[in-house]
Amino acid sequence: MKRAIPVLALSVAGLVPVWLYSPGAAHEGEINEAAAAPETQQQPQKQAAPQTTAPKTTGSAPKATGSAPTTQPQQQQQQAQTRTVSGPAVNTEEGTVQVQVTFQGTKITDVKALRAPNSNPTRMALPILRESALKAQSADIDTVSGATYTSEGYKQSLQAAIDGAQ
Amino acid sequence: MSVRRVEQIMGLPISVDLRDGDAVLAERAFASLRQADAQFSPFKPDSEVSRLDRGELTREELTPDLVEVLSLCDWYEESTGGAFTAQVPGRGLDPCAVVKGWAVQRAADLLRKGGATTFCLNAGGDVVTAGEPEPGKPWRVGVRHPDLEDQLCVVLGVRDGAVATSALYERGQHILDGRTGQPVSGLLSVTVFSDDLAIADTTATAAFALGRDGIEWAAAQEDCEVFIVDEDRRVFSSPGLPVHVC
Repeated sequence: MKRAIPVLALSVAGLVPVWLYSPGAAHEGEINEAAAAPETQQQPQKQAAPQTTAPKTTGSAPKATGSAPTTQPQQQQQQAQTRTVSGPAVNTEEGTVQVQVTFQGTKITDVKALRAPNSNPTRMALPILRESALKAQSADIDTVSGATYTSEGYKQSLQAAIDGAQ
Repeated sequence: MSVRRVEQIMGLPISVDLRDGDAVLAERAFASLRQADAQFSPFKPDSEVSRLDRGELTREELTPDLVEVLSLCDWYEESTGGAFTAQVPGRGLDPCAVVKGWAVQRAADLLRKGGATTFCLNAGGDVVTAGEPEPGKPWRVGVRHPDLEDQLCVVLGVRDGAVATSALYERGQHILDGRTGQPVSGLLSVTVFSDDLAIADTTATAAFALGRDGIEWAAAQEDCEVFIVDEDRRVFSSPGLPVHVC
């Protein structure tokens, strides 16, 4: 599902030259170049690793060619101008998706999801993990989780000390 | 009345710290573990698993318990693309990775059915807890440090729940990648917290079999919180992990 967002964003990006096009514009070439390889700041989407919890994205890729996008502001001439473009709302299997793309001239500088489904599978597909350094500690505990398979290993283990302490 | 007891079953030292039950109830739990060993051990020639493996039983003739265990095996095998498997090529059927957590969870359920509300059952480092050992306090489940056997790397505070750890430090390379038949690498220790030990234990083992790919895979499993140490001694943990601040 989350993949629909970059797909939509790129679709919108692809339409930029069309929206910006005005006959006789001097910088037409620049626009096409930018559209061919847009520099985006969006985060690369992680692959949904788990097959069991990944949401179904079997629906066809949303097409952003439907309704006309709304643009603001109206001025289109200066290249360095910041423009915000809202894409069409697209219905997908998981819900409605709509993105907003901000351009600095012809470069995409920001992509926001105006509407994105927040169903459980969507969140499950991208697990949040904290990363830290391994630390060692000793503490008062009631039991030990660890892989203890042999009786010899058990005898020397913290768990044996806990079991024997009573 | 409280009972503490340790017994070696399924090749594992199994301890129970039962705070509100008697020796009869504890024995019922241990008897169910011995029964699981007799039924599912691939090392006992007359076990149901061995008889199935030799072709003496068909899938239709199996007990519902073995059907459940095998369906869990199948589910995790499919979910891990075959990295986790009960049937490594060239070896016999070995559902031990699922049986251990499944059987210990069943023993814990027997304690609960017998009226116990406060206990800690530990089978070779896989833990099921219930209630609170002291009012207002959870069971403190220390996770063994992967390098230092007398140290911990985290302590979890658990009331009703299960904690399983899959790691390499003791038996050497004992987990094989079912896709290659080779020992797995990438991770040192995978700890999974869940409601049910069958889920926690199998998820930990399957994540281990996946190597580094197992980190995100395990974290994405429903109702599982993880604490994973990779070979570079980096720790990956779920925000929902019930870390106990000592």
